[in-house]
Amino acid sequence: MFLESKRGILFVKPMADVPSLTISPSSKESGEWVQPSPPRPLPISSLRTLTIRRWFWWVGVSLVLAVVTLLTCLGFGTESISFSRIWFILVGVMLGTESIHVGTDPTAVILLQVRLPRVLLAFFVGGSLAMVGVALQALLRNPLADPFIIGISSGAALGAAIALLFGVGISVWSVSALPVCAFAGALLALLIMYRISSLGHGFSIYTLLLAGVVLNAIFSAFIMFLTSVADPNRAFGMYAWLMGSLTGPDFFTLGVLALYLGVGLMVLATQAQSLNLLTLGEETARSLGVEVERVKKLVFIAAALLTGAVVSFSGIIGFVGLIVPHAVRLVVSADHRLLLPVAGFVGGMFLMLADTVARTALSPGEFPVGVVTALVGGPVFLYLLTNRSMRVGM
Amino acid sequence: MVDSKNVFSGPAYALRDVTFGYATRAYDQSESVLKDLTCSIDSGKILGILGPNGSGKSTLLKLLARILRPERGTIELFGNPLSLLFQADVARRVALVPQETMQVFPFTIAEMVLMGRFPHHRGWGGWHWEDAEDWRIAHKAMEDLDVTHLGSRLVTDVSGGERQRAVIARALTQEPQVLLLDEPTAFLDLHHQLDIARILRRLNRERSLTVILVSHDLNLASQYCDQLMLLHHGHIVEVGSPQDILRPDLLETVYGCQVLVDRHPQSGLPRVSLPV
Repeated sequence: MFLESKRGILFVKPMADVPSLTISPSSKESGEWVQPSPPRPLPISSLRTLTIRRWFWWVGVSLVLAVVTLLTCLGFGTESISFSRIWFILVGVMLGTESIHVGTDPTAVILLQVRLPRVLLAFFVGGSLAMVGVALQALLRNPLADPFIIGISSGAALGAAIALLFGVGISVWSVSALPVCAFAGALLALLIMYRISSLGHGFSIYTLLLAGVVLNAIFSAFIMFLTSVADPNRAFGMYAWLMGSLTGPDFFTLGVLALYLGVGLMVLATQAQSLNLLTLGEETARSLGVEVERVKKLVFIAAALLTGAVVSFSGIIGFVGLIVPHAVRLVVSADHRLLLPVAGFVGGMFLMLADTVARTALSPGEFPVGVVTALVGGPVFLYLLTNRSMRVGM
Repeated sequence: MVDSKNVFSGPAYALRDVTFGYATRAYDQSESVLKDLTCSIDSGKILGILGPNGSGKSTLLKLLARILRPERGTIELFGNPLSLLFQADVARRVALVPQETMQVFPFTIAEMVLMGRFPHHRGWGGWHWEDAEDWRIAHKAMEDLDVTHLGSRLVTDVSGGERQRAVIARALTQEPQVLLLDEPTAFLDLHHQLDIARILRRLNRERSLTVILVSHDLNLASQYCDQLMLLHHGHIVEVGSPQDILRPDLLETVYGCQVLVDRHPQSGLPRVSLPV
């Protein structure tokens, strides 16, 4: 695979210090073939592994890129805002001279009350989806796992749809029931998928995908049934939400989402090294000292929490959890201590850009961001599916 | 946790009435079951576990590594009941080299070898940065197994034999007292078979590492093992030196086919060959 070999070439240092093989005079005389001496060991520092320096370098780079992307995306829209203007307003907010809530300057109002929350939502959602993708891929040892493809998102959507249509309290003590129901749906879907993936050794990458397709179909059928019996006004709102949209969050909503995501991400982050070992298989991970059952439970709950929260706030957005981890793995590292945070930043960037396309391409109209991610992610998925190097472990 | 690393002088393992069976499912053909296994495994020796397919060899190895838990009976590791130890406690004393390693993600060989340091670090999910000591140990193991030059290559790109050597290096990086190997030479060419066997014997002699290996290669087992254990249908048929175990009559009853046994021209140890 091109990118893979690229990574290999990229990181292998030239072996300038390896002595050239020479045949000793004695062996020349006797005409005996002498086993060539193995190359002198490379210095440790030349081996590609994760070091603290590398970690800070990559996390720093992706953080800077994410901030740049965020500022860029803020500038695009029906009303184009210049970079210096954005900078001026944001710095003003931070210094307290400009307020988020009352503004006389229309540009500042658009920027702070419409665009900033939306772009931030895109960042949170994209980052979370990418990190869930990373975790699921490690847990299922399947590089094609993605919360959307294997049906976790639609499980969460079903939970959320039930909450929406039956109006389950809508909120209890100002805690919305929506994310909780979505979490329950996602957890259910995850447990079903896990049971399927752990049935015997003979099951391949494709079995899991097939099961995901079927699970998706079942959950979608339930959702369609619910929307068809719901009253048309609500049903229309649900359709718009299901397609994946990032419209209209306020800062309070963002704060609640950030809370859910924070908890989920913390749990995933603590399990990074265990996830590394789990990619070797459960038995091997156990023989290396991983308490596999505990790690699995934690990662399941965290993944369901993240997916549930993301889906209840922005509907179903597919493929972010598939293409982002894959790209980051090839370019940066497969080590989850680095992969998780970098994939988070890159996923956020990806969705911010996709959403900017979705809301500006047909300006002043817009289309769901799920369209953009599917149009980019679908072909990548097909490429991975047909690629030779993916046939390992089938 | 009582650390018996240096004070315990008894056997490495003591098994009492160990019984294990896989849950029977329609699609699961492996019904190898161990029945009331009682034995002790000396420390500082190389033990070869032999037996036909489905005799429970690999299952026994997994029980010793605490990957599986026995249904009944107890297993003691250096005097500590395995069931009372944490997984990481076991992993600091016992390393397992599985029959095959599948990896679909692009880890480098060096990264994979360093994973052997996991049980030595406590913390949230083992989150830690490898320090100079970890590096030194990993590097030594990679030197021993001749995989240092592969350090930057991806696990998915190297050959089966190279991967197998890297996995053994990872096991040594755990700094175990007991090394369990499931068919360690199955994917290796002659040159690397000999290498692995010699390395195992050297580690055994120099660091008094206890080696327990499962093998179908009777001749390799004969040359390099101090003791052999013959399993059949989940029972121990016999434990003893290669001369005691590799007898034509015993092998014929267990394997169900005729074999010829003569002496190895160099070592004088039994050599098993199939009739024409």
